[in-house]
Amino acid sequence: MSTPQQLPVDFASKSFLIIDDFHGMRSILRDILRSCGVNTRNIATAANGGEAIALLEKNRFDGVLCDFNLGAGKNGQQVLEEAKYRNLVGPGCAWIMITAEKTADVVMGAAEYQPDAYLIKPITEATLRLRLDKIWAKKEAFAEIDQAVLDQDFLRAAKLCDQRLATDRSNAGELLRLKCQMLLAAGDHGPARTLCNDILAQRDVPWAKLGLARAHFAAGELAEARALLEALVEEQRTFLEAYDWLVTVLKAQNDLTKAEEVLERAARLSPNSVTRQKTLGEVALHLGKLDNAEKAFRKSVALGEHSVLKTADAYLGLAKTCSALNNPNEALQVLGTLTKQFDGDEVKVQALAAEGLVHHRAGDPIAARKAAQRLGETLTSTGVRPDSASTLEMAELMLVTGEKQQAVALLQDAVRSSPEDTALLGRVQQVFDGASMGAEGSALVEASRKESVELMNQGVLLMRDGKFDEALAALRTACERLPGNIRVLLNFAHLALSIMQKTAVDPALADEVRARLATVHRLSPGEKRYVQLMRQVDTLTR
Amino acid sequence: MSAPAPTPDISAFLASSVHDMKNSITILIGGMEKILAAADREGPEYRELSHMMYETKRINGNLIQLLTLYKLGNHLYPFSPEDWLLDDFIQETVSQHQPLLASRGIAFEVECEPDLIWPFDTDLVGGVVGHALNNAIHYTGSRIRLVARRGAEGLELRVEDDGRGYPQKMLDDGVAAMQGVDFQGGSTGLGLYFSAMVARMHRNKGQTGSIRLENGGAWGGGCFVLNLP
Repeated sequence: MSTPQQLPVDFASKSFLIIDDFHGMRSILRDILRSCGVNTRNIATAANGGEAIALLEKNRFDGVLCDFNLGAGKNGQQVLEEAKYRNLVGPGCAWIMITAEKTADVVMGAAEYQPDAYLIKPITEATLRLRLDKIWAKKEAFAEIDQAVLDQDFLRAAKLCDQRLATDRSNAGELLRLKCQMLLAAGDHGPARTLCNDILAQRDVPWAKLGLARAHFAAGELAEARALLEALVEEQRTFLEAYDWLVTVLKAQNDLTKAEEVLERAARLSPNSVTRQKTLGEVALHLGKLDNAEKAFRKSVALGEHSVLKTADAYLGLAKTCSALNNPNEALQVLGTLTKQFDGDEVKVQALAAEGLVHHRAGDPIAARKAAQRLGETLTSTGVRPDSASTLEMAELMLVTGEKQQAVALLQDAVRSSPEDTALLGRVQQVFDGASMGAEGSALVEASRKESVELMNQGVLLMRDGKFDEALAALRTACERLPGNIRVLLNFAHLALSIMQKTAVDPALADEVRARLATVHRLSPGEKRYVQLMRQVDTLTR
Repeated sequence: MSAPAPTPDISAFLASSVHDMKNSITILIGGMEKILAAADREGPEYRELSHMMYETKRINGNLIQLLTLYKLGNHLYPFSPEDWLLDDFIQETVSQHQPLLASRGIAFEVECEPDLIWPFDTDLVGGVVGHALNNAIHYTGSRIRLVARRGAEGLELRVEDDGRGYPQKMLDDGVAAMQGVDFQGGSTGLGLYFSAMVARMHRNKGQTGSIRLENGGAWGGGCFVLNLP
C-alpha cells in the first residue's frame, strides 16, 4: 500500500464531544476515541441536543461525533445548525454526523450547515481515525479559502482556489466546485459558465450542470436555466439543491403551479426542512390552495420548534392562511406566538399589519383600525423599513381602514426604493385599483417613478461629465429622498470612494460611506457590491 | 365489526428498526474488536471470535444492501458521486477487514495506481468491494489482492484470491446469475444483485458501470471485477 499522504495526527492533544441518546453507543464511541489515543479527560458526552449545546457553549472542541437521531427534541442536524449559526464551533472543528443509513432526509442541509463527513454505522476505530486524519488535513489545506468565504470575499476565495489547483491534484474536484460557487456568489456568471462547460465537456458532473443552470439564471436566461434543471432532477432524483434552484427559476417565471409541483416532490424526499416547507406554504397560498398552504406552514412551524432556522414568515403565512380559511381566532393566536418568539421591529410591524387584515376580513373594522393606528405609530417611532411585499400589505391595511395618507406614503416609498422593478410597480397599481383609486394611483406611481429615476440619473450624468463634486451632492440628495433605494446608496458609496482614491481621504466622507453601506446591508443582506465597497473603505482608511 | 387495521408504513418501520439494529451491530463489533485486540492470538477463542466477527459483518452488509435496494427502487437513495483518492478509499475499506484477515492469517496486498482519483459514491462502492472481500476471505487459499487501476472502461477495481475460483456454472450464467435468487445454492444472490445495481448507477457520457466474475488473475483463483466509467 502506498504511504498515507499526510502525517498521522496527534490525537492525544485533541478534545472531543460525543452526542448520542443511547448510553451503549456513547461508551463504544468513547472506547474508540481512547484507542485512537485521545485522552479520556478531553472527551465530553451529551445525551441530547440541549446538553450538547450547553457543552458547546463552554468548550471549543477539535472534533464532534454526533448521532443524527437523538430521540425527542433536536436532531443531530439541528444541533449542528445551531452550533454553526451561533459560532459555537471554530473552523478547525471536525464534525462527523453518524447515521444508521444514508437517506435524502439526512443529507439535506444547506451547504453552510453540512457536517465534514457522514459516517454510517457501525463505526470502527480504523474508519474513524482515517476519516479524522483526512478532515483535519483538508481543513488545513483549505484554511485560507475558508476564511475568505467567511469574510464573504468571494473573488479572493476563487483566486485562492486557482492558486491551490496549480499544485493540489487530490483536491482538484472539490476546488473546482468551490471556485464555481464563489464565482456565482460574486456574480461572475460568465467565468462560472465557462468553468462548468469545460468540466462538462470532460465528464457528466452533477454540480457542474447545476452551476451552468445557475449561470444562465444569473444572466437572466430563465428558459435555458429551467430546461437544464428539469433534466437534472430527472437524472439525479435526490439532488435537492437542484430542486430548490428549479423552484427559484419557476418563481422568477411566475409559474407557481409548476413550482408547487416541484416543491412537493422535493418535500417528499426530505419532509423535514423548515425552509422548504415555508416556501411550499407561500407558493400554495399564492395559488389559493389553502389546505396545502395550511399543512405546509404548520409543518414548518412545528419543525422550527427546535431549529435556529425557524422563520417569522412561516408564522405570518400560517396566520394569513387561517384568516383566509375563516378562522380568525387561530390566526390571531399564531400572531401572538410570533411576536413572543421573534424580536425586532420588522417582525412587529409585519405582525401588526397581518393582525389588522385578519380583523378586517373577520368584519371587525374597529379592531382593524386600531391595529392600523398602532402600525402607523410603530413605523414612525422605529423608522423600520420592511421589504416591498410587507410594505404593500401595510398599505392595503391603511387603505381599508381609511388611513389614505399613510397608505399613499408607503406605496410611494415602495416605488422610490425600486423604480425599475416593473413587477413591483404592477403590484402597487393593483393595491390602488383594489381601493378604487386606479387613476389617482397610476398618476402617483408614475410621478414617484419619474422623480426617482431622474434623481438617480442626475448623479450618473454629472459623473460622466467629470463633475464629481456636483455628482456627489446630487447623489447625496437622492439618498435622502429615496432612503430605501439600494442602488442609489451603492452608487453614492462608489463615487465617494473613487473621489477619495483620486484625491485624498476625507474621514467624514468615509464615515458617511460606511453609514450608507450599513443601510444597504440592513435593507438587503448579502448584497455583492456591499462587500467589495466595504473592503475599499477599509483599505482606504487603514 | 372491528375497524380495519391501519396500513403500516413499512418504510417508517424499516428506518426505525434499521436504526436500532445498527446500534446493536456497532456495539457487537466494538466489543469484539476490543476483546480481539487483547486476546491471545494462538488461543482457540481468537479464531472463534474472529468468525463471529465475520458473521456479524455479513449481517451488517446484508442489512445495508437490503435497505439500499429498497431506497434505490423508490428513488429515495441520495446517490452522491464524489472524487476519491483511490489510496484513501482502499485504506478505509480494507481497514474494516483487517482484524479478520489477520486472525485468519490471510496475506493481503494492494496494487493501486498512485494518485489515482475517480468519482463514485463511496458508501455504495465501499459496500460492493466490502462484499467481494468478505467472499474472498471465505473462499481464498491463503492470500487476497485488491487492484485499482485505470482500464479501457474507466476505473477497474479487482478483488483476486488464490482459491479454487468460481464454479463453471456461475461463470457461464454470468450476468443472469446476478439477477435471481438460488436458495439451493446457499446464495441469496443479494450481494451480486446489489453490486450489479450499484455498478449500473454509475454513468458517464452514455457509459454505464458493470461487474464481472472470472477465474484467473495473478494467482489463478476467483476474481471479482467492478468497472466504473
